[in-house]
Amino acid sequence: MLEPVNVSLESLNLMTLAPMLIPIVGALLILVVDLFKSNIDKSLYVMLSILFLFTDFMALAGSSSAFMQNGTLLGLFDVMLVDGLAIVSQFIIVVASMLFIPLALTSKRFHEFSYPEFFALFLFMIAGFQFMVATDNLILIFVGLETASLSLYTLIAMHNREKSFEAAVKYFTMGALAAGFYSFGSMIFYAVTGSVEINQIATVLVANGFSDIGFVMVGFAFILASFAFKLSLVPFHTWAPDVYEGSSAAMAGYMSIVPKIAAFIVAMRFFEFLIHSGLVWVEAILYVFVVVTMTAANLWALVQTDVKRMLAYSSISHAGFAMAAVMIGTTQANTALLLYWVLFTFTNLGSFSMLWISRQKKMLPGQNSDHSYEKFAGLVQSSPMAATIMALFMLSLAGVPPFALFWGKMYLISAAVTSGYTVLALIMALNSAIAGYYYLKLIVYMFMKDPVDSRYEKVIGSNLSLSLKTIIGIAAVGTIFAFIAVDPLLQAIGGFVYNSGY
Amino acid sequence: MEKYLYIALFAPLVSSLFSALFTAQKKKQFVGVIASLLIFTAFASSTVLLVHILNGGEPIHVTLMTWMATGGLNIPFGFVVDEVSVVMMMVVTLVSTVVHIYSNGYMDHDKSFNRFFAWLSAFVFSMMVLVMSDNYAGLFIGWEGVGLCSWGLIGFWYNKESATWAANEAFIMNRIADLGMLIGLFLVYWNTGTLQYEEAFAAFPGLDHATLVWIGIFLFIGAMGKSAQFPLHTWLADAMEGPTPVSALIHAATMVTAGVYLVIRSHPLYDLIPNVGLFIASLGAFVAIFAASMALVNRDMKRIIAYSTLSQLGYMFAAAGLGAYWVALFHLMAHAFFKALLFLGAGNVMHAMHDELDPFKMGALKEKMKWTWIMMTIASFALAGVFPLAGFYSKDAILEVGFVEHHYIIYTVLLVTAGLTAFYSFRLVALIFHGEDRYTLFGIHPHEAYKFMLWAMSPLLILAIIAGAFQHTFFELVEEALNAVHYHIHSHVTLWIMIIGTQAFVLASIFYAYKKYARKGIKVPDGTSETEQSFLYKLLYNQYYIPYFYDEYFVKPYRELSSIFWKKVDLKVVDATVDGIAKVLYSTGSATRGMQSGNLSTMLRWMVVGLVVLLMIAVAVGLAARYSAELSQFLAGLGV
Repeated sequence: MLEPVNVSLESLNLMTLAPMLIPIVGALLILVVDLFKSNIDKSLYVMLSILFLFTDFMALAGSSSAFMQNGTLLGLFDVMLVDGLAIVSQFIIVVASMLFIPLALTSKRFHEFSYPEFFALFLFMIAGFQFMVATDNLILIFVGLETASLSLYTLIAMHNREKSFEAAVKYFTMGALAAGFYSFGSMIFYAVTGSVEINQIATVLVANGFSDIGFVMVGFAFILASFAFKLSLVPFHTWAPDVYEGSSAAMAGYMSIVPKIAAFIVAMRFFEFLIHSGLVWVEAILYVFVVVTMTAANLWALVQTDVKRMLAYSSISHAGFAMAAVMIGTTQANTALLLYWVLFTFTNLGSFSMLWISRQKKMLPGQNSDHSYEKFAGLVQSSPMAATIMALFMLSLAGVPPFALFWGKMYLISAAVTSGYTVLALIMALNSAIAGYYYLKLIVYMFMKDPVDSRYEKVIGSNLSLSLKTIIGIAAVGTIFAFIAVDPLLQAIGGFVYNSGY
Repeated sequence: MEKYLYIALFAPLVSSLFSALFTAQKKKQFVGVIASLLIFTAFASSTVLLVHILNGGEPIHVTLMTWMATGGLNIPFGFVVDEVSVVMMMVVTLVSTVVHIYSNGYMDHDKSFNRFFAWLSAFVFSMMVLVMSDNYAGLFIGWEGVGLCSWGLIGFWYNKESATWAANEAFIMNRIADLGMLIGLFLVYWNTGTLQYEEAFAAFPGLDHATLVWIGIFLFIGAMGKSAQFPLHTWLADAMEGPTPVSALIHAATMVTAGVYLVIRSHPLYDLIPNVGLFIASLGAFVAIFAASMALVNRDMKRIIAYSTLSQLGYMFAAAGLGAYWVALFHLMAHAFFKALLFLGAGNVMHAMHDELDPFKMGALKEKMKWTWIMMTIASFALAGVFPLAGFYSKDAILEVGFVEHHYIIYTVLLVTAGLTAFYSFRLVALIFHGEDRYTLFGIHPHEAYKFMLWAMSPLLILAIIAGAFQHTFFELVEEALNAVHYHIHSHVTLWIMIIGTQAFVLASIFYAYKKYARKGIKVPDGTSETEQSFLYKLLYNQYYIPYFYDEYFVKPYRELSSIFWKKVDLKVVDATVDGIAKVLYSTGSATRGMQSGNLSTMLRWMVVGLVVLLMIAVAVGLAARYSAELSQFLAGLGV
């Protein structure tokens, strides 16, 4: 006879679930509202989403103060794990989402925003990402990952263009393959250790001294392959440029930030105990991935003729850059990664939003891609403000002081140097130099060339509305005044990371 | 008291930033008014500080924040108000206030009115940092700051080719000297481990003599640049391209005296190395007569005054070099008053004459511009050192120093220069204000300057007259700080002969200048007269051919060399290498972009390829680990 299961509600610690439940409730509410009254203006849904995201933010603030007092929280049969990494990454996810969602309020009408499902899916996706980062249970990570990914595929497809469908299908197919890799990897680790919790796996493996190193390596290969897909590390990156091109610019910017931070957190949790256990091969493989991703993506970005594709490749390169921190694995490096990503959020969201404001519904005759360099030629003559702001974001991406990403790059490279990775630091610096070329290329087009076609003048900024201006303004302020925020940010993030034991 | 220090220091900065807000806009009168008020606030605070110090208060020392702390280097942003800096602060803020108010009228019709005040106030702030800093690093920041502002103000009318050229010349010339200054600072830091004045001065007596000499020389090279001493003097005359209020403030009263200030501030150093001091004094005396000689024949009103400034700076260095730091500082102060007055007067004349600078084309302006005439005459009397005006006390003191210290050559040179000074000053006054009217010929209708401009100049006028009366107070003020001693000539007879003799010589020069240039029938020189054909005239008129020499032997070869480096080294080696690297990278990108075919099957294949490679490594590692015993046996069999 089975024992009756007795669980006290307090031991479940349901508060750990609150930040994920809020967007889910929000999503359901949006669906219910639509059920009762359809054809409501999209601005209501935008506002509802912001409201729930803001509540989510407050809940996170609550968790973070609880973390400060009591340290890491466990909940729901120890499945939920609310540590510093989880909190910081959730902050990044929620804030980036709050910055993204007002971009729906464009002056032109776009297909996807007329569906309330768009917003519901969006909130489900956020909940998925939040689950991913706030657990060390491989199954829950998988559930979170799939929730988020499936929503994301749909969001991309809803852009309702031929290229979007193509992108969504490609992304879906490859994502399915990656999910397969992930479950294979998890299975192997379960077989070897008898647990699906990362800390348990670590304990067992360390206890038996990695006696089954071959199996561990096979499991690692599968898991790495699946996360390399999510993080778009070369050669698992092939989806990224096509998907970025297929989705709307705002969505592309969002994709370059939020899914990746979630994946980085899981990668940190999973790979760092392997590296710290002294598995040289793990480190060597990651090293190769980091270097190849940074360098190859940079070289491809050089030869792009479309700004959005260039930014897609540059995002891949940035991901490789940040992956270096996971590989180094010290507290300083992890802190630097999170700082880098916070700063990257502002800059990259800003630069993709600048593309978003110039979105055309139909391409002009003779135009090959949505955001070709030619479109921006001589922009300074027609709208100097737009050109200046775009240049600002480009300079920040290139790591020119004192703009935001300079600090991220500086701390990351210094983390590499202090941990003795001098060659890696050198490669990172060289890659930043190469990257400077294609960012400055856009600036050269905007400031030094003459307009190619006067019709482009009308296109730039045609999608602009007050809410887009606000978001771009926030991104620009964040980029310019980063130098003030860097130190406090570093202190705060460093505290969270250190107290979580990473 | 500290709050007054902060007000005095930061009011000019606020003024500059405020004015800078409007630089891109049309003239706004309130910008000038508010800037003037803020500078006046700084002046008022400096006055409070002066009273505090005069009443025997302790020097005020504050540390704003740590600027740099790395390893053994610790440089705080520290400021000090002591007897020396308070005198400089008074001079700077007073002349700045006058010049700011005056500029409201002078720049009245300029379309960059707002920008002018932004630069001018920025200059005042930099100058305050320079004089108030309690360490060499802060002094150097101010030093560079005034250099930058001077560049911006000389080249204020940037669409004038000659103005931008002069601005660049001043800046570059100063850069050369600043290198010397920097080396001096490095030496100080290297040998004493600190840049704070007090700590460095305490450490100097422990250093060996040669080191001190080098420090002294390099610091003085910096001073030579800023104070335009030979051979770095050419920029000062060219700097007259800037608006006249700028010349009055920067190139007469304040910035150019920064070099003298540096020597005075570093007096514990120069006390230890009298040889270098003697060199400074000799160079000063040489510059005094050298510059005065060029002023004798020049035909540009502002350049004449600029050469006179140069000559007076020579006097200051002569005094400082002989160890009479308080006399140098006193002359610095007195000179600031009457020279600024002279420049502002010249500004009035320029305005009246529609920017005509040749005094030969003026004449008889005293009827039209009575007050300007009076002011410039008194300023010239003060400059010439006529009793009882300010210049008499300060210049006479310098001559006495030379005499008492038994440096008779220096004394004689300076005495002759005093006569030359009197001559060229009154040549200018006579040509501008006396004689017969020569301007109607050129279709000019002069008019007196605005009333408020004249009122603004009046404090300078009063000080030019009475500053000498403060000599005793001044001596007591700086007595302790500068180890001041009175220079007494023991024999009364000698003293009286000297004073009366000097005065007679000066008055005779003035009389001669009047006689020669105030008469009727003066013609605008056309290069035909006998004097103009003479070798001496040509030599002086062409500034001893020094600018020509510099152009021929420094600028041109340098340009030639640069061009060679550009065409041969940069284009053929550096550029080619960089382009080559870029081409390699670019073509690698092009060659491998085939990976991105957009074909889903290919993309999936790439993923699988990646996984397979990873798995192969994993399997290899696993096998190697499992069969490590056999493997090592096998390898041992192979003899590895």
